Amino acid sequence: MVTMNSSEKAQKACQQGPSRDTTKSTKDDKDKKDKDTMIANLPPSVQALMSTIPSPEESPNYLVYKKMEAIIEKMQDETTGVPVRTVKSFMTKIPSVFTGSDLVSWLSRHLSLEESWESLHLAHLLAAHGYLFPIDDHCLTVRNDNTYYRFQTPYFWPSNQWEPENTDYAVYLCKRTMQNKARLELADYEAESLARLQKMFSRKWEFIFMQAEAQSKVDKKRDKLERKVLDSQERAFWDVHRPMPGCVNTTEMDPKKLSRINAIKAKRLRQCQELILQHNLKNNPIVTITNAQESEEAIQKNIEKNNESSIKENGETSQTQPETIEVEKTIEQQIEAAKRQLSVLKARMERRNVRVSKVAEMFISYCEQYSEYDAFLTPPEWPNPWISDTTELWDQEKQCKEPLPLRRVRRWSFGLRELLRDPPGREHFAKFLSKEFSGENLKFWLAVQELKALPIRRVSSRAKEIWKEFFAAEAPSPVNIDAASRELTRTKVESGTADRYCFDQAQAHVYHLMKSDSYSRYLRSEMYKDYLNGSKKKTSVKGIRSIVSFTGRKETSAN
Amino acid sequence: MPKDDPETAALKKELNDIIAKAKAEQEKVADAKLAEKCGDMADVPKIRLITKKTLKGHINKVNSVHYSGDSRHCVTGSLDGKLIIWDTWSGNKVQVIPLRSAWVMSVAFAPSGNFVACGGMDNMCTVYDVNNRDATGSAKMVRELAGYEGFLSSCRFLDDTHILTGSGDMKICVWDLEVGKREVEFDAHAGDVVTISLAPDMKTYVTGSVDKTCKLWDVRAEKEKQTFFGHEADVNSVCYHPSGQAFATASEDKTARLFDIRSDQQLGHYTPPGASGFTSCGLSVSGRYLLAGSDDNTVHSWDTLKVAHTGTLNGHENRVTSISLAPSGIALASCSWDQGVRVWG
Repeated sequence: MVTMNSSEKAQKACQQGPSRDTTKSTKDDKDKKDKDTMIANLPPSVQALMSTIPSPEESPNYLVYKKMEAIIEKMQDETTGVPVRTVKSFMTKIPSVFTGSDLVSWLSRHLSLEESWESLHLAHLLAAHGYLFPIDDHCLTVRNDNTYYRFQTPYFWPSNQWEPENTDYAVYLCKRTMQNKARLELADYEAESLARLQKMFSRKWEFIFMQAEAQSKVDKKRDKLERKVLDSQERAFWDVHRPMPGCVNTTEMDPKKLSRINAIKAKRLRQCQELILQHNLKNNPIVTITNAQESEEAIQKNIEKNNESSIKENGETSQTQPETIEVEKTIEQQIEAAKRQLSVLKARMERRNVRVSKVAEMFISYCEQYSEYDAFLTPPEWPNPWISDTTELWDQEKQCKEPLPLRRVRRWSFGLRELLRDPPGREHFAKFLSKEFSGENLKFWLAVQELKALPIRRVSSRAKEIWKEFFAAEAPSPVNIDAASRELTRTKVESGTADRYCFDQAQAHVYHLMKSDSYSRYLRSEMYKDYLNGSKKKTSVKGIRSIVSFTGRKETSAN
Repeated sequence: MPKDDPETAALKKELNDIIAKAKAEQEKVADAKLAEKCGDMADVPKIRLITKKTLKGHINKVNSVHYSGDSRHCVTGSLDGKLIIWDTWSGNKVQVIPLRSAWVMSVAFAPSGNFVACGGMDNMCTVYDVNNRDATGSAKMVRELAGYEGFLSSCRFLDDTHILTGSGDMKICVWDLEVGKREVEFDAHAGDVVTISLAPDMKTYVTGSVDKTCKLWDVRAEKEKQTFFGHEADVNSVCYHPSGQAFATASEDKTARLFDIRSDQQLGHYTPPGASGFTSCGLSVSGRYLLAGSDDNTVHSWDTLKVAHTGTLNGHENRVTSISLAPSGIALASCSWDQGVRVWG
């Protein structure tokens, strides 16, 4: 028998199907009554909190299910619905079925669907969600012919927010194996699932077996025809929640969303339970918690705080905290959060913002400058590797042989960042700087970049090395930076707690120097111009070739 | 709300005032619309990417894909519990790494190509060394970073020794991989941190979260530099503009947007012809094309400047969960619930 979580029981409307729950209906009723009286005894504010437990309305497909159910109910109407009857065949009677063609024709008539495939598609969707099913097949599709179908009982409708567990499935499969073999053997995938579940639940298999036995005993007592109907409905239920491989699974949800919904449910439930327990302990009529209106953020922070504090108290639950302190904490947290937000906004107000028009211009110029390098806009120098079946594109980029393509060398003139990003660019720049005897700036900059990527334990020793190399009194490669940054860096390094960002200010200063001074001279230098021309000369032949192949490619793509 | 004591009341008033002022500032700066300004630019051609390679091998939904720094290899993680490193040119599987937990939500490739990281519902981030194998012949597990209170939703390598992660417990952590210890950990958002994107200069990064905001962070600091509002539902993915001055976002509210950092506001608003949520986004090298993978089994593309839809890439048979652009811009990899990974070029 499939069971529902106790929390959801409190929310269920009486959607009783046929008397399936004879074994546990009495227990259910008692539970429900207990819960009801318990709820009624609680103060209204707690009741309000309990109502924050998500009701069926919040399940993702609720509206869709309601629409489908409206159609189904019309279909089940005695006079104007789909004709359901008991069919006699060979030696048995098939109770309460209707044919596929009946269903499809009813749909096109009553919903005034014009195209023939529309009603078939709609019927198929109703089946896929589990509202009707073919009586002899596991695959939930509908065919427009004389095959027989049956309606699913409202107990099993998906709008009841079923989330059946693997244990329930195991009990069901076990029960199936106990039934008369001739009639209902397990399909291959069901046998596999059963084997898998047996392994999973090997420790409590006895318990599962007992439950299956109990259920099959109850079933045996039923009337044969009724039993057929109920069996087929239960089978259809499991076809929806544990579909046959190859069939659509309509109960799937993105796991990230699912985990979030579950987390929220769990939190709310815990909160509610805590409240109930506190209420029972303290018997304090004045409950000043009004969490029902608070933001998600506050609730989550509250729960986190509660968890943290309860962990600190060696596992004691938060019940031992008096309620008033809890309330104060909530307000405190809100104040803290508000203060944080305030400081961020204040910082924002102090910033100067650039106008959108200027920003747009910047984007336009960036796009135009780089459109040459965007493979989606301009074909790159080397042929597309998947079309031409060579890996030239990647191999050539890695190599730094002399005749570098013109595009690549030109890119170095876009900004210092581009120059430093490309390894051959760095080398060329280093050569230029060594000619000018100002190579230490670049070396320092590269050393600090390396420092930032080091693991923690080597940071402080390396920082000291860098200091000795570039800033100390008799440094081999002295770097010129202003006195303020120098002092700052010195205190940081010599304090012994050098972190990887201690040279940042100095590095920024050096970067600025390089950008304004050395870089601009580099771009105007003979070296760079020669390099450009050199690559131009050497790639001019390549350039022609690439134009030829470019048009060649155009022709093939036009075919 | 409980009775406001004067302090709370004063704070609230101050907060509301400053929010109003910030909004007013934003409007002052918004003196032009992006599409109008770029009105006289040449129209960009409709995107002509076709599937160059279909990478077959996963036997369950593929959740995440990330390109390596060499623009040739990519790693994909799937719910069948495997990480596969592909050579996108030949379609060969360079390595298949079996995972301890099948619920992988996010993968990352180090730019150097030496490490891959993955994580998901196991609340851990696991880092593997691509170049070394262990006793069983699969890639050596270098680190198992545990201690999250929520699932690992995104991770990105800062370099070979540092990894930045965002998780379902709303925190961001930076780990030192040599020691396996957390360097920094702080509360970042009011909801799960779902996505991270590093700036080209690696000094800053942007995160997106289910609390509908995106925040800009400095790698060195624990407080955010800027917050961007505008989305109406979860932000599923963010991607930096190659200039480092803006970023694109894709969200569950069926839009993709372009936010600019310097003017601190939303510049572009991109909607598809149909209506389905977006799961991931990417920008091309020049920043002209914005591509976003969507729930309707296609990848949509827009001209970012003219705010116009330039086409869709069809081919997947189920929702596209993640896309990744090669750093050199030569290709785009997309993965989907139909168990396939496609390389578009």
